[in-house]
Amino acid sequence: MTGGGGPGPVNGGGGPGPVTGGGGPGPVTGGGGAGRAAGGGARLAGRTALITGAARGLGRACALALAREGADLVLLDVAGELPGVPYPLGSASQLAHTGRLCREAGSAVLTRQADVRDLAALESAAEAAEERFGRIDVLVNNAGIAAPSGRPAHEITEAEWQLMIDVDLGGAWRAIRAVGGRMAAQGSGSIVNIASTAGLVGYRHFAGYVAAKHGLVGLTKAVALDYAPRKVRVNAVCPGSVRDDEAMEGRMLAEIARSLEVPVAEHEAAFVRDQPMNALVEPGDVADAVLWLASDESRRVTGSVVTVDGGFTTR
Amino acid sequence: MPPAHHALIVRLPPDAADAALADALTTAAELWWPGERRPRLWTETVPAPAGSGTAARRRAAEARRPVAPGHRLRAVLLRYAGEHLADLVLTAGGAALDARSLRLVARVLRGDLAPDAVTPLDGPLPPDLRMDGETRGLASALAVTVGRYEGAASVRVAVPVPARDRPPYALGALDGYAVFTADLSPGRTVADLLATEPSAPAEGDDPPVLTLVAGEPGGDGDGDGPAMLPTGPDALPVPAHQVRFVQEQLAGSAPNTPLSQLNPLSREESAEQLAFRTPHKAAAPLRIDEVFAAQVAARPDAPALTAGSATLSYAELDDRAEELADGLYAHGVRPGDLVGLCLPRGADLVAAMLAALKADAVYVPLDPEHPADRRERTARDAKVRLTVDDPAALTGHPRRPAAARGPAAGPAYVIHTSGSTGRPKGVLVPHANVTALVDAVRDDFALSPDDAWTCFHSAAFDFSVWEIWGALLTGGRLVVVDHWTSRQPEDFHALLVRERVSVLSQTPSAFTQLAAADRTGGGLPALRLVVLGGEPLDARPLLGWFDRHPEDRCRLVNMYGITETTVHVTAATVTRREALAGSRSVGRPLPGWSVRVLDPHGRPVPPGAPGEIHVGGAGVALGYLHRPAPTAERFVPDVVDPAGRLYRSGDLGRLLPDGTLEHLGRIDDQVKVRGFRIEPGEIRHVLLEDPAVSAAAVTVTGGAGGDAAAVRIDAYVVPAPGAGEDPGSVRDRAARLLPPHMVPATVTVLPALPLTANGKLDPARLPAPGTRRTPAPAVPAAPAAPAADAPEAPAAVLAGIWRDVFGVEEIGPDDDFWDLGGNSLYAIRIGTLARERGLPNVALRQLYLTPTLGALSEALARGV
Repeated sequence: MTGGGGPGPVNGGGGPGPVTGGGGPGPVTGGGGAGRAAGGGARLAGRTALITGAARGLGRACALALAREGADLVLLDVAGELPGVPYPLGSASQLAHTGRLCREAGSAVLTRQADVRDLAALESAAEAAEERFGRIDVLVNNAGIAAPSGRPAHEITEAEWQLMIDVDLGGAWRAIRAVGGRMAAQGSGSIVNIASTAGLVGYRHFAGYVAAKHGLVGLTKAVALDYAPRKVRVNAVCPGSVRDDEAMEGRMLAEIARSLEVPVAEHEAAFVRDQPMNALVEPGDVADAVLWLASDESRRVTGSVVTVDGGFTTR
Repeated sequence: MPPAHHALIVRLPPDAADAALADALTTAAELWWPGERRPRLWTETVPAPAGSGTAARRRAAEARRPVAPGHRLRAVLLRYAGEHLADLVLTAGGAALDARSLRLVARVLRGDLAPDAVTPLDGPLPPDLRMDGETRGLASALAVTVGRYEGAASVRVAVPVPARDRPPYALGALDGYAVFTADLSPGRTVADLLATEPSAPAEGDDPPVLTLVAGEPGGDGDGDGPAMLPTGPDALPVPAHQVRFVQEQLAGSAPNTPLSQLNPLSREESAEQLAFRTPHKAAAPLRIDEVFAAQVAARPDAPALTAGSATLSYAELDDRAEELADGLYAHGVRPGDLVGLCLPRGADLVAAMLAALKADAVYVPLDPEHPADRRERTARDAKVRLTVDDPAALTGHPRRPAAARGPAAGPAYVIHTSGSTGRPKGVLVPHANVTALVDAVRDDFALSPDDAWTCFHSAAFDFSVWEIWGALLTGGRLVVVDHWTSRQPEDFHALLVRERVSVLSQTPSAFTQLAAADRTGGGLPALRLVVLGGEPLDARPLLGWFDRHPEDRCRLVNMYGITETTVHVTAATVTRREALAGSRSVGRPLPGWSVRVLDPHGRPVPPGAPGEIHVGGAGVALGYLHRPAPTAERFVPDVVDPAGRLYRSGDLGRLLPDGTLEHLGRIDDQVKVRGFRIEPGEIRHVLLEDPAVSAAAVTVTGGAGGDAAAVRIDAYVVPAPGAGEDPGSVRDRAARLLPPHMVPATVTVLPALPLTANGKLDPARLPAPGTRRTPAPAVPAAPAAPAADAPEAPAAVLAGIWRDVFGVEEIGPDDDFWDLGGNSLYAIRIGTLARERGLPNVALRQLYLTPTLGALSEALARGV
């Protein structure tokens, strides 16, 4: 299993500001990697992160990476089928499993079923997250779909177009709508939007996906400016072709291959050939970038796009 | 200030069911807080046993978590893998529920208490200002402890108090606080303090400085016991154990015990603070002439002293000193007599010092550059037997009778310190102090007969004591720098190269000028040690020096010292690290010297707190000559070591965690505006950080009568090479970095900072801030502009140079170099510009001899 990046540099006390309360039991000082499994770091100790699409794949990898660095987690996933998407999405069981893995890494976890097309569900989840953990420090907008795709633009139906834009672009905006105001009020926060190399370059027969991900990069830059005065940072990570890791139960690459009607192995091999580094990106590689953007190590980074694609888009 | 939140962790019985707890919570919340959002019961499974460290950390993390805005209470049920145990973590905002209320909530949820047995309160109640004895003792102890850290005579402590007439089962009562204002001024007693009544915080009152946090017994780590929450940026953390220690003393002291007798430091902690000395093995005390004689015997032909082009060997210098000693005897000088020395820098000055010591007399240097009246008064006050101003009078006399050497503890010299007020005081320093000083650094500085030292400083400035005896008592060669050369950095630099000087001593101000000359003057291959002293050092401007002279080839040592403690006290090697950090550390005491940082009552201050630097050990002088009152005031008995004495420096310092001393300036210089302490050193430091500034000075004036509005801060800066001369941008930058009360009112750009004869900044010769000098006889600046290619008259060119250098609009032939604020650096600038503009060389000496513009022009015209 990849991801997480092992014990990183321990980054100060790390808690959300000095804990000056402490009239009650327990130590007065904050911070520290309280309750962490051995081997983890404390770069996000005392922080709360909300992750969409957390049941599997990149979402699970991000959740685990953040858990290992001390974050408590609110894990959201549609945890069910979405009409119009030609492949099975994350399940409730997968979401629970991500939660279990994160608890074993030392996190307190709240899991919720939520469709990113449902603003009320996201707002309710954000409210519960705040009530449970007191604050939300990190939002990872990971939920997204890659299909229906595989056809030229004029063959995409109105419903297919709407679905793609609604999930991949609209979903991120709704989560920001639910969480951003709370972060702005507390004067801190980090929002990481998982876009794609499809947010930077075009892919044949993926008009909806490419348009949505380009839109997500644009959303990142605009919202970064909205929140910069309130010290809330907004950045995008653009992964290249991520290997479908078994432990993460990812299946994005497989579904893209199916959209293109090519065997998965052949598709993977073609992608590897396309990569300047001759290797696919691992979920942990992306999670490490997310971790950095979530932590204070990137405290002056906002509106930026971190590309994790083995050099794919540089040529 | 109520605490941000309270938390309570309670263990639930094994049969506690989630649903029952959730129902109980809902029922109680609806009853107590109708119409509010109802708290939910959150459940969490910890994948570890309840008794594990993991579980304990998870419970602590839950308790530490803040409550979301708008929520009154959070209830989290923690269950553990494979166990039937459960813990309930209740957390409430500090303003929403007090700790006692949480216990009630827990009892209700466990079913021990019916919800309707608890009376809710719906708003804050006035605080009950009555303090119980325990709280009173704690607040008093905290105030005393903080007072000792901050040197404050009054300390305010916020004390949490319950709401007045609080019903036994109240929920939702605010935790109020009362302000306990402790008067710690001199003369107050334990009874006075314990009788202090707290008061309600006034509306719009400043927040109290301190908040007592009552820790729960059995808490772990730092949460144990009372603690202080520092709220100011400068607040020091006060260790809880010291507060408890004072509390015990308060409880055990008679009511009439003065508060000054309470001490937060234990015996061990005090001893730790007092032990600030560098271990060494003390050698038998020796006389200066004794050690010199040993060098003469060991290396009679080695070079001892170079003055101009002549070099004397140790034997030759000794012969000359013997001859002069015979002359002193012939003139009636006997052991213990004082002998004034008013001689120009040269071999005879040093020989006369040695002669006085050989005759067991005490030499009193009188700087021939000082005004005659001042010299005469100093000699008269010192009651000198005679003043040597012509060595010829001491030659050709018969041998003096042989006599046993005097004791090493006997006086060797008197150096007068020019205090800012009053008459100069003569500091009487014994032989043993000087030999101990040389011994203290000999190994660390690797002083050897291979070294060549400069004698740069006036004999009347005790830095020269270090230079002269540092060289001659270690077999080195002393290179005497004449007065003119010492005033011209380029010439001085050339001398360092020519004489292959290896050990150089400078004030930071003079060194800055030398470093500037060094930028163009080529390397200094022989130089291996620079001793900086006499002034506080700003390390940052040394970066350029380090670029040219790496620390591994030339070591820079900053020494803090006082005439009354024999030149030096501490030493700190300065490297790029210190320069980058802008370190103000002056290092550790020399072996044999000791430093204490004491409060006004003579007690050690707590670690890190500022106090007066007291110096003890091998360097403490005998006292002030013929001045018993100031001697008794400044040279005080050492309470720890009855055999020793301490010199009260009047300098403010603090011991840093790394065991070094930080020098914070003169205590007298401390100026406060609206309670803020103004630190000229800090302002200067900020100015020097500006890349456009190469040197800076800060003056703080006014406010003498406590009139804060009259306090005025003015800054003077010398632009860095190639930088512009815009004082506005310098001030703008400073204003961004300094608190408003420390921003200089004006920034005046100068070509160089005026220095005293000793090479220190001379604040008296700084021009009026931000103004341009207007010369008295206003004659037209220059004749009509000459034709473009006609050569300008030399007098007009010179007048133009003076106008540029002094920054004046108009200038006349009677304008005097000194009246215009001239100093050696202006003179150098005039010389440089004169060369550049095609005039004959303007010798520095000429400028001093003919200081008016007219006279100088004439002298140049005559080709002098």
